[in-house]
Amino acid sequence: MRRKDSGYYTLRALPGILILVILFLIPLFFTFSYAFHDNGKALVAVFSDKYTYRLLAFTLKESLLSALISVAVAIPLSSFFSKYTFPFRRAVLTLAGLSFTIPTILVVLGFVIWYGNNGFLNNILMRITGRDYSVLSILYSFKAIILAHVYLNFPIAFLLITNGWTELPDTPEKAAYTLGAGRARTFFSVTLPRLLPTILSAFILIFLFCFSSFSIILVLGGNPAFSTFETEIYRRVNINVDREGAAALSIFAFFVTGVMLIITSPGRRERKASRKRRVLIKATGRKLFAAVLLMLLILLFILPPMLSIIYRAFYTKAGAFTLRAWEDIAKGSTGLMSTALNGIINSFMIALVASCLAVFLGSGIAMAAAKRNSWFIPFLSSLPMATGSVTLGLGFSLLAVVLGHDSILISYLLVTLAHLTIILPFAVRTIIPGAKAIPDSLAAASYTLGISKGRTLRKVEAPLLAPYKRKAFAFAFALSLGEVNATLTLSDGHVSTLPILIYRMISSYNYQGAAALGTLLLAEALIVFAIGQGGRKNAIS
Amino acid sequence: MPYLEIRKLEKKYKDFGLSASFGVEEGEFLCIIGPSGSGKSTLLSLIAGLDTPDGGSIILDGKDITKEKIQNRGIGMVFQDFTLFPSMNVEKNIQFGMKEKGKDRKKISDALLALVGLEGYGKRSVSSLSGGEAQRVQLARALAAEPRILLLDEPLSALDAPLRKSIRNSIRAIHDSLGITMLYVTHDREEAFSISDSIMIMHDGKTVAMGTAEELYNHPKDLFTAFFTGEGTALPAHLVFENTDGSMFFRPEHAVISEEPVNPTMYPMHIILNDAEIVSAEFTGSGYMLGLDYQGYPILASSATKPRRKTVSLMILKESILILE
Repeated sequence: MRRKDSGYYTLRALPGILILVILFLIPLFFTFSYAFHDNGKALVAVFSDKYTYRLLAFTLKESLLSALISVAVAIPLSSFFSKYTFPFRRAVLTLAGLSFTIPTILVVLGFVIWYGNNGFLNNILMRITGRDYSVLSILYSFKAIILAHVYLNFPIAFLLITNGWTELPDTPEKAAYTLGAGRARTFFSVTLPRLLPTILSAFILIFLFCFSSFSIILVLGGNPAFSTFETEIYRRVNINVDREGAAALSIFAFFVTGVMLIITSPGRRERKASRKRRVLIKATGRKLFAAVLLMLLILLFILPPMLSIIYRAFYTKAGAFTLRAWEDIAKGSTGLMSTALNGIINSFMIALVASCLAVFLGSGIAMAAAKRNSWFIPFLSSLPMATGSVTLGLGFSLLAVVLGHDSILISYLLVTLAHLTIILPFAVRTIIPGAKAIPDSLAAASYTLGISKGRTLRKVEAPLLAPYKRKAFAFAFALSLGEVNATLTLSDGHVSTLPILIYRMISSYNYQGAAALGTLLLAEALIVFAIGQGGRKNAIS
Repeated sequence: MPYLEIRKLEKKYKDFGLSASFGVEEGEFLCIIGPSGSGKSTLLSLIAGLDTPDGGSIILDGKDITKEKIQNRGIGMVFQDFTLFPSMNVEKNIQFGMKEKGKDRKKISDALLALVGLEGYGKRSVSSLSGGEAQRVQLARALAAEPRILLLDEPLSALDAPLRKSIRNSIRAIHDSLGITMLYVTHDREEAFSISDSIMIMHDGKTVAMGTAEELYNHPKDLFTAFFTGEGTALPAHLVFENTDGSMFFRPEHAVISEEPVNPTMYPMHIILNDAEIVSAEFTGSGYMLGLDYQGYPILASSATKPRRKTVSLMILKESILILE
């Protein structure tokens, strides 16, 4: 089958692939041309500078540690959640899934308000202990970076490992017990080897995410000593105005990330889900008590930073109710607030256009990849991931310099294209499992009924892909909505999105304004999350 | 000229090659049987146009359709897998390939549902159907597109035995009432024997025999066909017939058991094998299938009763013995 109609699907994927390659190559071309400026002096400097390797060491250290802790915390919890069923189990897992759509800038804001020296947590602890100085000093340190990364990624590890574990039938474990193996021996010799691919893929996903972390490092690290490639490139462009140096560093980072993606790709092989899932045991008595305790712990870790954003949007630091920030947004009064309304509209429109395009182009690419059983198409579409969003932003900003334009329309276009380049690989990756789940025999059956390829795609295959497209849309929309890295690097003052405004407000200590905008961003993220959740229904499993 | 003619059709894969030539008359019910990997499904895919042959031609009703698009061949297919479209209900699935427009569509789909024994199933979701129901709907859907030939690729292999029996009878009844030409692939010998007009046996990508069930069972042309169409025994021919190469083959029902030694001169029409040792006796319901050892050679013989002795004699009518390569 694949041989007969794959050409048709490739043809349909071609516009998407072309746009992806062009959008990826243009910024890369400008980055390269800047890096090789002046006989590649900047490039030589970057490769021979010890600081570059210090950056690499730090980036590796923070990503490894964040991924390790996230996975290590998740495994015992997943072990419990994949064995027992209890009230609110599903709700907690759904809440964990929210981490996929929470913009990083909200984590930054939530952390500042909750964990800050004058934050809610310290206030509570000061009241309890009776001290008049902050009890916990977390922010602006290495541990803040790790804590924020774990906050954002532990739920992802928890969700992936729990789902993977639940899908493993427990008959091999039962067989091991009947052979006289104890619980520990069974876990290490029977369960763990089967679970390892899931654990590894969660680890790699988190590792790669932390490797390109930006706003968490920039704000919560608060110190140039804690610099990753992404933050350093941003600093060189926007603070030192050293475009050649930034471009050279981008190329170094591009190769490092490329190598990482190649090394880690075997770990992300897809496994066939087993048909026979394990039957969960109903938790009663002590197990139920343990379940309640674990759920409370998870909620106590996840909820406070987000809730404190909402609280802070309506209350002053002293605890008095106020709507000042909201009035400022509505009036478009002074300063940063004057652009708030604009920012809300910008964010929404850019995310809408970029994610619609991403899903449209991405589904063509995903169908072609599935029909051809190709590894190359997914590889090609994940290239922008290797580039890193700051580098893409830098490339687009270098393009803007070359264009030397004044038009606001071009600024919007560049930001939207940068967002599209960043989110398209994620859209493709989300849709590919759906495309692969459609059996080839469905199209074959339709052809033997005399139905054309186009109608078969529209009437038979597209409805089956719809849930995945909706999920991809939600994911892409959320990513675009929360995008800071590229937008901040590319931002030339013309285009302000919600996360950029929040970032600027945090920088100018306007926490109430940031919290009001953060609440709006959180609301949008929740809506998008709900849309994506709807998408899970009716999917082919 | 046959209605469907396959001329030197070839398809080569890395470790498998298919080459087939045969013809099917209009309205015929041909079963294609053979072991797994013998090329049965590949052959159907090539005829349907789901795969492209490397050589040869497919002639349907006098017209070469080898290079014709799948959609224009007028060849329907019922697949082994579940291929009902999940986004449509039963009725919409059946109407999907119909050429008629308007109200007729509903009438025809209802009639087809009645034909396959599923009246009133039209509005059901396809995910609510059992395996047998799903295959019946697949059949109705394929018929709705009014194909000139219907190909069925192991349509019942995923179903349990009693259901298989009942649906295969419905398929034969539908064939007889519509008079449509059908090519039915199965690996189940009994299924092929019970519903076909004729049978084609495939082995290693080649057509090894073709004929009616009776012809293939009673007069197989080679040992593969002999064993594939039923149980039997093959002994080196020179054991009994002087200066004869090849194997002598006989069916278990042609070997008569005697608990007393038999004098060969008394039975000139038979081959007598004395001192055969009974190794196993398997109860088959109507009698026993005996496994015997004769001078180190295994022999199968059927018997109405279970012999009391361990060593018996065998009498095989000479004219029932086939000398095969």
